[in-house]
Amino acid sequence: MSTVENVSTNFQDRAGLRRGINIIRNFALPILIVLVFVVASFTVTDFFKFETIRAILLATSITGIIAVGMTAITLSGNLFSLGVTATTVFSGVIYVWVGQATGSMYVAALVAIVAALVVGIIQGVIVGLGLNAVIVTLAAGSIIYGTIAILTKGEAVQAQSVDLSGFATFQIFGLPLPIIVFILFTALAWLLTEHTLIGRRVHLLGANKNTARNSGISPMGTTIWAFVAFSLGIGIAAVLQVSQTSQIQADNLSGLTMDVVAAVLIGGTAVTGGDGSPIRSAIGALFIATTTQVMVLAGVPEATRYFVLGAVVVALVVVLHILRKAGSR
Amino acid sequence: MKPVGIWFRRYLLQFILLVIVIAVIYALYPNFRVDATIERIIPLGVIAAGLAVTMIAGEFDLSIASMAAFSGAVAVFLSPLGLVVSVIIAIIVGIGLGILQGWAIAKLGINSLVFTVGTLILLRGMTWLVTGGLAIRVGDITQTDVFALDLLFVTPLSIIGILILVGLGIFLSRTRWGRELYALGGARQEAIAAGVRYKRGMIVAFGISGGCGAVAGALVSARGGSAAPDALGVMLILALGVVLVGGISLAGGRGSMVNVALGFAIIAVLSAGLAGMGAKAFVSELYIGVLLLIVLMAEFFIRFIGERSRRAKLRRLAA
Repeated sequence: MSTVENVSTNFQDRAGLRRGINIIRNFALPILIVLVFVVASFTVTDFFKFETIRAILLATSITGIIAVGMTAITLSGNLFSLGVTATTVFSGVIYVWVGQATGSMYVAALVAIVAALVVGIIQGVIVGLGLNAVIVTLAAGSIIYGTIAILTKGEAVQAQSVDLSGFATFQIFGLPLPIIVFILFTALAWLLTEHTLIGRRVHLLGANKNTARNSGISPMGTTIWAFVAFSLGIGIAAVLQVSQTSQIQADNLSGLTMDVVAAVLIGGTAVTGGDGSPIRSAIGALFIATTTQVMVLAGVPEATRYFVLGAVVVALVVVLHILRKAGSR
Repeated sequence: MKPVGIWFRRYLLQFILLVIVIAVIYALYPNFRVDATIERIIPLGVIAAGLAVTMIAGEFDLSIASMAAFSGAVAVFLSPLGLVVSVIIAIIVGIGLGILQGWAIAKLGINSLVFTVGTLILLRGMTWLVTGGLAIRVGDITQTDVFALDLLFVTPLSIIGILILVGLGIFLSRTRWGRELYALGGARQEAIAAGVRYKRGMIVAFGISGGCGAVAGALVSARGGSAAPDALGVMLILALGVVLVGGISLAGGRGSMVNVALGFAIIAVLSAGLAGMGAKAFVSELYIGVLLLIVLMAEFFIRFIGERSRRAKLRRLAA
């Protein structure tokens, strides 16, 4: 049996320990990215160059934008959307079609983003009623995918007479637009979730649904806002994606959903909701892209790359979980 | 109420759906083949059964389709040992990995949705490693004949699939370990307080789902004589469709293998019928999505109305 002093010193020790653990939890991934970077700079030839860094950021941008948007859904306690691939392809097809019809990529981008928003808000309303988000988005994804595949007859849709690649080729200070949009979108998402009323509501809804409802937060409205953020990300990402490839097919981007979910998870946002941040997800996406790029440049075969990535994701998820448990004890 | 009545009411929505789907498919496509439907039990029905067991225990095994792909790759990779032997090895490996997964989830106390998203990617990576990134084939193709025998309506594979469903149904409803999974899924705190062993439950549930994934994947590869690194990816979504259309509760603790069988019958009749009519795979995906949404909404509104009438009754009693 310990005395009172013992208990209090124990408590203080533990408070210090907890703070330490939380620091590790917050900075583990950025440190890991820097570590991978430094090691790769010394061991892989031609790694430490502006082009490589730009390639990594470009590879991150599409997944990253969607992961940042999806964080709102995860934060609001609605797990994640399994309809990412379908909605992105849908939005991309709309971009090409409207671009073809109007000849303007700006009008096309606007319509594509609005289309993603409409689909997202419908799902948000259904989820807001109290239905499970994973299943609703899964079903919606199947419906969207089926519709798009039927309308395009499963063939690739591409812009013939108009040039829709403007958003991908546009550069500021040598940085392509997708990278800049990714950074701005992350910053905006951070501002919205951390410093506005709606962001705080999303947090609270995810932390405790009943308490949030009793304090006057509308679960329906808040859920819809989370889906709006997500769909905005999808729409923007789809436009940027199609700008890069200038064509899109129903079967494209099949791994996107899992990439996005993995980015959110290794970023350290809690699936149970209420704890996390869009920046974490952006860093998660950056980490995946960095590791992949390093392995590509080091000449690691594709099969081994997938394996290593899988092992890293499992390891990170487990470590983050242990740290979260230790930090909240 | 008589047991038959209860049974009928519990599965009413699914029965109605099944009858409608069969009627529509028969009307549109008269030479619809029943055996083509049953044959889909490997891999779809068995994977759905594995997924259902983890859902009943209140967890999720998202890695099950990757597990199937991995086991298929292992079965083909080891086929120089004899295909039957390699299939058995692949299944044992699958069960072993499932048990390991369940143990890790229980030990860490981690959300299974999070953990299995990780292992989904990891197992897919292991499949890439085993296949070397290319589709691999069984060296001696005559070995696959055993798996493709046709006995009137069923193949040996369909029989295995049906036996697995029946076996799991008996296990869940008639054995202690099976009943414990319902307890863990329905009211975890209370179950643990009452002495149900949480870790054993997780190991059993994930061992079964790993085994189901492995059986489905290994047998599909054995039947076709090949395995590919990106095979069976769509199975997770289809199996989730089967389980949910069948009416297994997402909250855990409810549902049975009858639900899985009904869900499987609905989805399989639909996709076999559409495939027979020459429709592409994405058409049936569209219909499955619609079906899923209908079932989800129907159950939601049934619950909503039930809740309202219960409240109205309480109010009358109070007045």
